[in-house]
Amino acid sequence: MSAPFNRAKQASGALTDGEAALLDVVDVRVRYGGVEAVGGASMRIAAPEIVGLIGPNGAGKSSLLAAIGGQAPTAAGRISLGGVEVTKLAAHRRARLGIVRTFQTASVFDRLTVFENLLVAGCGFPGAALTRAIFGGQAQRSLTERAHTHALRVLDELDLQIMRDSYGWELSGGQRRLVEIGRCLMCSPRLMLLDEPMVGVAPHLVKRIGETCQQIRDSGVAIIIVEHALEVIETFCDRVIVMATGQVLDDGTYEDVMKNGSVRDAYLA
Amino acid sequence: MIAIGVDGGREHGLADRYPASNCTDGRDRSQLPHPRPACAGNLGTAAARALTVVTWTLILQSIGFGLVTAAIISIGAMGFTLQFGVTNILNISYGNILTVGAFAALIAQRDHLGLVLTVVAAPLAGALVTFLLARIVFGLFARRHASSFDLIMVTLASSLIIQYSIDAAAQGQEFAFTFPAGRTLHVGPFIFTTLSLALMGTAVVLLALLMSMLHYTRMGKALRALSTDPQLARACGVPMRRILNLTWMVTGALAGLAGLVYVTNNLTVSASGGLDFLVLVVAAALLGGAGSPMGAMIASLVVGISTEVVAAIGGSYYSQAAGLGILAIVLIARPSSRTWGGAQRDEVTV
Amino acid sequence: MSYYLSTIVVFFGVDLLAAWGLNIQFGWAGVPNFAFIIFQAIGAYSAAVVTLGPDSGANSFQRYILGAQLPFPLPLLVAAGAGGLLALIVGVIATLRLRRDYQAAVFLLVALIASQVVSGDVGLFNGSNGLAAVPQPLAGPLSSLSLGDYQWAYAGFVVVVCVATFGLIRRLGKSGWQRGLRATRDDEAAAGALGLNVAAMRLQVFVLGGAIAGLSGGLLVGFITAWSPGSWGYAETFAILTGIILGGAGNIWGVVLGTFLVQIVFVEVPSFLPEFGYPGLIDKLEWIVIGFMWLAVLVLRPGGIVSERRYRAGATPVRR
Repeated sequence: MSAPFNRAKQASGALTDGEAALLDVVDVRVRYGGVEAVGGASMRIAAPEIVGLIGPNGAGKSSLLAAIGGQAPTAAGRISLGGVEVTKLAAHRRARLGIVRTFQTASVFDRLTVFENLLVAGCGFPGAALTRAIFGGQAQRSLTERAHTHALRVLDELDLQIMRDSYGWELSGGQRRLVEIGRCLMCSPRLMLLDEPMVGVAPHLVKRIGETCQQIRDSGVAIIIVEHALEVIETFCDRVIVMATGQVLDDGTYEDVMKNGSVRDAYLA
Repeated sequence: MIAIGVDGGREHGLADRYPASNCTDGRDRSQLPHPRPACAGNLGTAAARALTVVTWTLILQSIGFGLVTAAIISIGAMGFTLQFGVTNILNISYGNILTVGAFAALIAQRDHLGLVLTVVAAPLAGALVTFLLARIVFGLFARRHASSFDLIMVTLASSLIIQYSIDAAAQGQEFAFTFPAGRTLHVGPFIFTTLSLALMGTAVVLLALLMSMLHYTRMGKALRALSTDPQLARACGVPMRRILNLTWMVTGALAGLAGLVYVTNNLTVSASGGLDFLVLVVAAALLGGAGSPMGAMIASLVVGISTEVVAAIGGSYYSQAAGLGILAIVLIARPSSRTWGGAQRDEVTV
Repeated sequence: MSYYLSTIVVFFGVDLLAAWGLNIQFGWAGVPNFAFIIFQAIGAYSAAVVTLGPDSGANSFQRYILGAQLPFPLPLLVAAGAGGLLALIVGVIATLRLRRDYQAAVFLLVALIASQVVSGDVGLFNGSNGLAAVPQPLAGPLSSLSLGDYQWAYAGFVVVVCVATFGLIRRLGKSGWQRGLRATRDDEAAAGALGLNVAAMRLQVFVLGGAIAGLSGGLLVGFITAWSPGSWGYAETFAILTGIILGGAGNIWGVVLGTFLVQIVFVEVPSFLPEFGYPGLIDKLEWIVIGFMWLAVLVLRPGGIVSERRYRAGATPVRR
């Protein structure tokens, strides 16, 4: 998928330099008030793949996602995207470097139409600049045109054409999830973080979302999915990371992880 | 908003003007959070005064006045914190309930109903008006899943309605209010009247009553459950409607009483007189933590004493600004006011 | 009658500017700026003190800072600049991630603090008595005109400013920036996660709205030649907001309609009624009706009379 807008090119891409992984999370800690939600978690994604992040409630999965995405401050540790350190960057700057995410409660813009939702994502921050709003210009026009075209294509892929002019609040839960994913597609990301994307979604949509994720991975994007439904994890994920009480317990394929005794204990405890 | 007459001149129509009564320069020490604008001065003279006039006696005396101020603020603050803790609504019209209480007492006094009925009229009126307002107006919006922001706008609209209804009925006038102050007593460096001691006693008694209700009665425990987690409380079978009715009536009564208590010190009843006082009440309530009467009491002491000391040093202009500043800082700095990270409590319970 | 009409035109123009300024902050970006009136106020004060000559010290008829006697139209630029500058400072509140009702309450407090500061410090803008006898713009060059004609000339100028502002806001309303603002209004975190700098955008719209408010204040004070704290109580913002909400906050024409209904029709009609009750009763009743109007709109038609126009994609030619 072509990038409709310029963003900072990674200094040393995974293609040219074998050392810089797509995502490198080293010993990250996240604290909310006095509570440590994530206590020294590490993970590494070298190549585009779908990584499932599972664990019992309160394991720190969403907090880790928030730390990677920039919604939560990292108390300690390092996070790098393609060799570029992002630990201290604000969320919107990380987004410009190629991290997109969905949220636990579907974060569709309620009073914008589905199409506008996609446009916001597609035009990104250059399209939302005040100077461009006042002075216009050819760059803005072509950017908007490309975003329009891209949005129509995404609507097609996700089969959302009918809902194109519906407001966000008019959508059902599953449709909201799809629009959220559609927004992620508009950005041509390098890393996608999905926080429980299947919650409240009808089974056939679950399949569609899962297959879309696989297509996205095939086009060169890494995806981390936080999910509770283990069937989803088993079917669509290449790798699984298990967390419990803020720590990473295990990291491997679904079969290997499920054989791990401490993983079973964590779920039963 | 400006209405103009046909002659083309400009009259101030809806431009809200607070009755420009004679100003106060903060030297009349029997006065509380002053409703009248501070006398014109400027920052230079205030600083000069601060350097020359301040003595220890003055500060100690201010602390004494601060205790009385704290008692008066605390009654309103305990009501507000309870109401806000349960409903999650920043109820701006709470200030107007203060006014309702004051006017109820005024009317009782004018009708020569005796001291007891005068004192009782204020909380009764406060409870009644609050209950009606909550059930009729706030409830209407809560049923439509209005957010806490929608509700603050509703309370602001209600505030305008109540304030100007009272103002219209009162024909825009202020009224003198008399209340027996009793003897003046010197307790060490402090100067108290019987009345101010009674006020402090009332505040303490009310605190004790509220604390016992919250911790030892079933209704009280249900109320605390509701403040903490309304959905869970509902699921556990807490009688929501009854508890909420109780909350509105009790906090409304406290507001009405606070309004009366305010004018016993201030001796003037006016439709717009409560705003400065409301700022201190809300500041104390939020500083002490939503839903905690004890917190409200402690915070009232902090707010009351500090504003009196600042008034003694710098004049009432600075103490009013200090009150506003404290509230602004409390609103910004409270952890629960942040929206970052996780779900914030946006829903209201009416 | 001619005086009346030209005055109405001026007041409507000023109110429209104010309404548009608040609408871009509240309707577009969702910033509950309950301190809005202070930006109009500082615009008016700034225009006044740069038009008046210097005050004559502590014993003068009125005391204020500056006193520069700038010629028209410089005071208006100063007014807009003052509004924008104050908005830059106060706008920091808009960038904080506060619960929206807390944010509204903080803005309300800012309005009260501003009123306190100005009333208390006489040397600033003459305290609670305010400024008077502000020289009229172009009184010299246009001195040949009768009062009636001068008023119409002023009204004409106000109309020009309004049309220009309308053009700017209309253009902005179709932009990606406005769409981004609406996104930040609906879901701050999601907008940030898409690369939008929410804090910066909010500050931008806040400063722009503040500048427009300041401009409206400058125009107003040039016409009525007097300004005091009584003209900018905290409830005035609410009155402007009622007009916006009634007409339709998402729609530029809705704001025009609502402002016309509330600020002109609703305010002027009572002055034609026979005086009843005591003097001042009608004003109080008007505030009561404003409160009820607000509640009624929220209940019956929260989107306003003219709702936000739904963006329809499709064969639309690409807009700027």
